[in-house]
Amino acid sequence: MTPEKKEYKRDVIIEVTTDLMFPLILLFGLYIMIGTGGTGGGFQGGTILAAAYILYITVYGTDKAREKMPESVNALFKSLGLFLYNGAGWICVLFSLAAAQWLNMPAFWPITDFVGVPGSRSFLVSYMVSVGIGLTVMASFVSQYFDLAWKEEGERGGR
Amino acid sequence: MNIPKMNPLTWTAVGIAILLIALSIYAIEDLPAFGDENSAVNKQIKLFSVDADGLVESLDAGVLPLEIKTKIEKLGFIEGPTCPGCQNENYPSLTEGNYEIQKIEKGTWEGGRLYTEGGWDVLIKEGEIFYDEFQQYYFIDEIDGELNVYRYNWPVRVVERTEEETAMINAVTSGLADYRGYDTMGEETVILTGAIGVILLVRRRGRL
Repeated sequence: MTPEKKEYKRDVIIEVTTDLMFPLILLFGLYIMIGTGGTGGGFQGGTILAAAYILYITVYGTDKAREKMPESVNALFKSLGLFLYNGAGWICVLFSLAAAQWLNMPAFWPITDFVGVPGSRSFLVSYMVSVGIGLTVMASFVSQYFDLAWKEEGERGGR
Repeated sequence: MNIPKMNPLTWTAVGIAILLIALSIYAIEDLPAFGDENSAVNKQIKLFSVDADGLVESLDAGVLPLEIKTKIEKLGFIEGPTCPGCQNENYPSLTEGNYEIQKIEKGTWEGGRLYTEGGWDVLIKEGEIFYDEFQQYYFIDEIDGELNVYRYNWPVRVVERTEEETAMINAVTSGLADYRGYDTMGEETVILTGAIGVILLVRRRGRL
């Protein structure tokens, strides 16, 4: 018994709602990912960004969602996040001549003081580290969802 | 001796790799060990110092001298920029029998750290219902005829010093990314490894 091919049904209401919500969810994810001074953080923000793409995959199917998030961009994000995080820590360790354990040495503060923006001293922790964590989490979740969706499609013989 | 033939590009890459490894070794060999008593997290805060004449015998006998006691009580538990008005709030009382003074010899291991200088530990009972035991609160040592009083209890220390040390307003973020930075690095690596494992197990050929 061969599995019968299912026709891909389009629904106007779901597609229009997704088009409306997709950028808003991305914006909310960015707001949470960068807002480490308050309640935000890299893990939470990355998960919300991944939720936006997962919604897009579920509604439009893997082929159209692949144009939104190609494999090259996905692989780049996955590794770039880890490089950002580790690079920030290693730069601090090397610049302070190994006086810092991770970031807890004001090795970058002369540079950030030269910029002159108040609050720019926490640039390393709040932006580089959090964005690094968020990028890796988002790309990993999206990649796993793509893999599982492709497996389902292959077992059912296409969409 | 046979030297394998390689591109100049490969030789350059090998040279850069050796340079990076040497730089890393130079950096790592000076890293303070985890749990070092002088690392930023585990240091005590120095509160004040008083003259030591006649007070050392009192400390050896297990009685906190009145001079130190009144100063500590006046200072309160949380005082400073974080909480200017709230003295003696949530502060365990220093009445007789509620505290204990322990003499520590130079070079002993206790509580996972090495005491490079001898001194006295002031242990206080907090008066909790379910956890009624002595806890480390203050550390006193004698240098050049002066008694220096330090405070333990690193949660309070993080609240007081986190903005000065990491320039983050949020103590949770500084804990996640700064004081426990290696932990977060491992978590992120675990997520990346999980994604790579799913790709290797599930993904078919030709899907990239």
